[in-house]
Amino acid sequence: MTLSKLVIRNITRRRGRFVFTLLGITIGIASFVTFLSMGGSLKSEINRESSALGANLIVTPIGSCAYEQVSILTGEVLPSNITMENVAKIQGIKGISAVPVLTEKTAITNKPVSVNGVDVEKMKGFKAWEVGKGSYFAAADEASAVIGFAAAELFKLEVGSTVTVRGEKLQVKGVLKETGGRDDLTIFLPLPVAQRLYKTGDVVSYLAVKVENLALTDSYIQQIREATNLGVISDKQMLKSVLSIVGTVNITLQMIAAVSVLAAAFGIVNTMMTATYERKREIGILQALGAKQSTIFGIFLLESGFYGILGGAIGVVAGLLVSATAAPYISQNAFTSFVKSSGGGAMVDVKTVVGSVLFSALVAIVAGVYPAWRAARLSPVEAISYE
Amino acid sequence: MSDAIISTRELAKSYTSGDVTTDALRGVTLEIKKGSFTAIVGPSGHGKSTLMHLLGGLDRPTAGEVFLDGTDIGRLDNSRLAQLRGEKIGFVFQFFNLLQGLTAKENVEVAAMLAGVPEKEQTERAMRLLAQVGLAGKAESKPSQLSGGQQQRVAIARALANDPSILLMDEPTGNLDSAAEAEVMKILQELHAAGKTVVIVTHNNEIAKKAQHVICVRDGRMA
Repeated sequence: MTLSKLVIRNITRRRGRFVFTLLGITIGIASFVTFLSMGGSLKSEINRESSALGANLIVTPIGSCAYEQVSILTGEVLPSNITMENVAKIQGIKGISAVPVLTEKTAITNKPVSVNGVDVEKMKGFKAWEVGKGSYFAAADEASAVIGFAAAELFKLEVGSTVTVRGEKLQVKGVLKETGGRDDLTIFLPLPVAQRLYKTGDVVSYLAVKVENLALTDSYIQQIREATNLGVISDKQMLKSVLSIVGTVNITLQMIAAVSVLAAAFGIVNTMMTATYERKREIGILQALGAKQSTIFGIFLLESGFYGILGGAIGVVAGLLVSATAAPYISQNAFTSFVKSSGGGAMVDVKTVVGSVLFSALVAIVAGVYPAWRAARLSPVEAISYE
Repeated sequence: MSDAIISTRELAKSYTSGDVTTDALRGVTLEIKKGSFTAIVGPSGHGKSTLMHLLGGLDRPTAGEVFLDGTDIGRLDNSRLAQLRGEKIGFVFQFFNLLQGLTAKENVEVAAMLAGVPEKEQTERAMRLLAQVGLAGKAESKPSQLSGGQQQRVAIARALANDPSILLMDEPTGNLDSAAEAEVMKILQELHAAGKTVVIVTHNNEIAKKAQHVICVRDGRMA
């Protein structure tokens, strides 16, 4: 017999109470891990999308905030009011190459999918796309579509199939090779075709800009602003502001999860308090047999710590499972679409796993301090005479 | 004096509950010799159990001293007192007080653990002691599966787990029928014959007659 064996015998004696107390801490830790791991995959996804965009600068309508910047990365619809006149002005600036993009959405078999109207020639050079099957647009206003790799698989489209966008049947001309980014799930149309179908007039949503000399980036920003009175940000700024929004959301979610862990901690306090009352006589016996106050304290603290470690371990596994299976079902919006498109969502990160179990153990041990102290300070005679 | 394992001097204990102070013991001076079989007798509520708790270091006197092997145990801090109980004293109580969730063997093992016996040696010791009280076959039984007499014998085996200098028993046969009582008494006499110091608190005169020494406590004093 060792103290830890004694503790396990004690803790599993009341199976119902053991299970319910354990469930409390397990659920708390599971939700904590779910949010943590989703947040983690969100961040890595944003980084990936940002590099897939391949732009040094983004030109957006003036006054757009981080939310619109998120939308550029996720392929959501943006308010479009950059005129073709401004596009031409920007494209006229020497030392940069700028691609106008119109972001829209359509639905295929009731699933939402992004539609991008692009300047076909400029975009091909800009993105270094490779056409996997079929061919690329032949003319700047050809009424056909080139689609991403994943979109072709998801909607079972091939070269020669038709997609209906805004009531017009367009032929799929080519399927791009896999890029690993948002483009895989996008239907690309020539810009004039997209503008006509969506009746937007001569406007675009944003421009992706590459600069020839990175050292001159600030001066290009200045030139674009002077020429057009539009908003310009660098990819790094965009990344920073998007990540900060995501970070805020993450922290909020994690705080909610932390509250549930806190509630579970009080569940442990309650269970342990009950145990000290129920086992008063046993505490007296152990004292008569030579258990010191520190031993009694240790027994009860180990017992609550055991809840924390076991609940934490189960919670971590449950949390990772939930984030892996639930992520695809989360309704689509600017934030969660990242999680969706990242496929699984669960990032099994050693730091998360170990940290969560330690956190759980720590919370449980802290929760056990008061009951353990109450148990330890019982006088032997009082405890042993307790009926 | 040198062969006394326990001696007390003017031992007093009073309990305070609200404004009322009750004197449970009012100055007891006694001596228990090493290897003796002593019965503490007296009517219920006259301080017998209190005396036993004080002798075994479960409680602290209000006044006076208890010497165990020459140590004034009233001066020990809680931790040292617990250690002393673990090393030198074996308690047996009227209501058996076994740990209900554990088997007979595990009950003995816990006591050995608290006395500092390494885990590897605990099982061997527990089995030997259970055999000594005639319960080798019940090692894996839970207390609820044992009769009162069997439970009390497990409790005796547990009290012996630390190879104590002295066995202190509070009405060990108070809850047993006469057959079980006879079994328990036989074990106690064997232990005494083997050299253990046995102190038994009882109000049963038949048991007291079997003791070498009888200490009578009445109204908190020796009578």
